[in-house]
Amino acid sequence: MLLVVTYSRRARETLRNACRAHEETVVRRFGRAALLEETEYGAFLACRLRERHGADVQIERTEPFNEFADAPDAVREAAAAYERRDSPSTPYDKFAAGTDHPRSAAMREREL
Amino acid sequence: MTATKSPSERPSASDVVVRFPDGRTYCGPIVDLREIEAGSPGSLSRAALRRAVVAGCPAPADAPAVEAPPPGPVHECAASLAPETRLDRRRALSAVAAARGIETPHDGELAAARRALRRSTAGAVDAEALRAARRRAAEAGAETERLRERVATIRGRVNALREITAEPEDAVDNTDVTDATDSGARGSNPGDDDTGVSGAAAEASLSEATRRLSEATRRLSEVATDRVAAAQRLDLLERRARAGRDDRSARLRLEDRVGNLERAVRDARVAAVEAEFRDARSRFASRIDRFEDSGAASPDLRDALAVVSIAPVRAPVVVAAAVAEGLGGPASAFELLDAPLVIR
Repeated sequence: MLLVVTYSRRARETLRNACRAHEETVVRRFGRAALLEETEYGAFLACRLRERHGADVQIERTEPFNEFADAPDAVREAAAAYERRDSPSTPYDKFAAGTDHPRSAAMREREL
Repeated sequence: MTATKSPSERPSASDVVVRFPDGRTYCGPIVDLREIEAGSPGSLSRAALRRAVVAGCPAPADAPAVEAPPPGPVHECAASLAPETRLDRRRALSAVAAARGIETPHDGELAAARRALRRSTAGAVDAEALRAARRRAAEAGAETERLRERVATIRGRVNALREITAEPEDAVDNTDVTDATDSGARGSNPGDDDTGVSGAAAEASLSEATRRLSEATRRLSEVATDRVAAAQRLDLLERRARAGRDDRSARLRLEDRVGNLERAVRDARVAAVEAEFRDARSRFASRIDRFEDSGAASPDLRDALAVVSIAPVRAPVVVAAAVAEGLGGPASAFELLDAPLVIR
């Protein structure tokens, strides 16, 4: 999907009007952002916003996040293990200490 | 009550003075121009007079000039009282309260928010550089793909030609040269091939194709490097843009805050004068009903009359003759509206 985020009042207003006028292309609206269908028409609307508002519009292309394909096993398993932890107040790095789970700092350094 | 003064009377300090291009001058708290002949068509219209009130002096040579105090925010809403008058009621009432200096609990916060907004700098984002970088990255990517396909095509041709030409020792031997390891159809004579190219020509084609292959491979390598560089540059510019977006988000939040506070201030101001406005409006109701019988008057006219009557208006209001008459004549209108009038 195409994620459109606005950064000025005028850009936000244009997005709002576009979403109202082209409901069939809007997947979801969030005030100053919206998810558009990844069709040529969605791209058309995104391009129009960029033409009109330049840097006041940010456009990203999103894919559904598949934790089995897109994240390393270690990351996924660490998340699952952490969510199953016994004591709710334990911060992650403390939980991970002494285990094979990756540290937060290390994960922050590595791109997917 | 004084009507328009005769030209020989001297204007007093609080009077309005209307001066025409031909020299005719009228003054008074009420300037009654109903009987006056226009020098040129349109020069004496209510619109022209309204423009003159707003613009002040000096006026263009062919237009009337009005000497009077400058219009305030209330006047902007209700500068002219005529059957077709429209009025933004909330805006007008808010202006009345502001003109009276009525304070609201949000005034301080609004001032602070406005100051913060003025101080905020929207981070500069070089949109043009980003655009150019995106285009460059796209072109480099497309070029890489194109060359990749070209290399694959040429490589295919080279391989086919190699198969044809790779039997130098058996060039004159017509016996079966099938090799157990060959996977291709090798029953044909060396020197013959599916492409119909004979031995020597095939050799020539092979060396030409090989030359083209290494040329294309070299170019592919250059373009692929370009693509990486373009992607890195785009990534760098995107990171910089992110900081600019942080600033813009903060600015947007401030703008919204100012907008919300402005709304709150206006609502409070309107509330402060609403009761008085309604009373004034019903006082005009009976008079305007009589007037409305004779012609179409907008529902806003009653509102506008009430607004002018409760507001401290110092610039003259232009009143249509029909409205003045409906209110009982110039003197009565002046009494009711409590504002300097120019009647036309």
